[in-house]
Amino acid sequence: MSATTSARVFDAERTIGRLLIAMTYVSVALMGVGVVLMFANGISPLDAGPPLDPGDLGAEILGLQPAGFLWLGLLIVIAAPIARVVLAAIAYARDRDRTMVLVSIAILAVLAVAVAVAVTGGE
Amino acid sequence: MVASGIGAGVFGSLLGLGGGILIVPILTLGFGLDLREAVGVSLISVIMTSSAAAGVYLERHVANMRLGMTLELFTALGALVGGSIAFLLAENVLEGLFAVLLGYVAFTMARPRTETAHDTSTLDIDPDGEAEPAQEVSTLERLSGEGYRVRNLGLGIVGASFAGIVSALLGIGGGIIKVPLMNVGMGVPLRVATATSNMMIGITAAASAIIYVARGGIDVYSAAPTAIGVFLGASAGSRLAHRVDLRILRWLFVVVLIYTAIQMLLRALG
Repeated sequence: MSATTSARVFDAERTIGRLLIAMTYVSVALMGVGVVLMFANGISPLDAGPPLDPGDLGAEILGLQPAGFLWLGLLIVIAAPIARVVLAAIAYARDRDRTMVLVSIAILAVLAVAVAVAVTGGE
Repeated sequence: MVASGIGAGVFGSLLGLGGGILIVPILTLGFGLDLREAVGVSLISVIMTSSAAAGVYLERHVANMRLGMTLELFTALGALVGGSIAFLLAENVLEGLFAVLLGYVAFTMARPRTETAHDTSTLDIDPDGEAEPAQEVSTLERLSGEGYRVRNLGLGIVGASFAGIVSALLGIGGGIIKVPLMNVGMGVPLRVATATSNMMIGITAAASAIIYVARGGIDVYSAAPTAIGVFLGASAGSRLAHRVDLRILRWLFVVVLIYTAIQMLLRALG
């Protein structure tokens, strides 16, 4: 443990590490199912895939549509590092490390701006 | 495409590179995807391998989470800028930039390795002997780890922002920029710099991946098989590392990179 890392943050690093690994395996499993369904339905990776429609994800998964599994897996891939920042922010807040809480919030704010830019700029 | 991903993952893992530097040329030159689409696919592969590696590094307390999060704020800002301008630049401009990147990576791999000189665990003495302002000393000490002291935070912020822009434009993790930046420029031991860079890649690529997803820049049918392939290949590569003569592999890879850079440049020139 470094001189600047408290026991609480030290423990949080282990938890965050395990969360990242777990989310990666879950996303690989979901995308693996999606790829098997793709090939079973004669879909080539070079075919044009459907865009993301969050409202249809549940129905696509229940209907064993490959796109549902693929998109859910892909969203979990993107969510994993964001979850890491949220957990780190909580650990730093419990540790009363205001600077790192502010850094964490700023990172999340940049990601929120990315969403806003993407949504407004894509129209 | 899964097989290509596995190949890129194995080579990338053996040579200490992310899959992005290989995936983008394979998808554009091999499968005929346009470069922006290949970058979107690559970003997903990059986040996946980064999360798996960062998870292990954090569990083992190798990565410097405080330094990584401070710098990734600026890589994320850079990625936000890069992800936005990627959709404004002409395809051949991006291809030309990628060719330059491939040439740079080939050059860094071909030159004699000197980073071990910086890979000391006792970098707690400022080699320049210059006193830092009191406020900065405090900040730098908080960002430092056991046995080393971080220096040149300003350089780190500028370099991290640049790495974020390049990552979003070209679909690479940016470790090729961040690791030397932290190791040589900021006095972070190589092992810690590699682990911390891996951790940072996730947020950097996520910031631009969000923009690509929302703008329809990621094709899920090509992204998922490739990402799975890269993940499997990277896992296998980490187990093969001690059985392979990396010197031969490195030179073979330099030749492949130069050839690919020329092909990409020709494509950019039409």
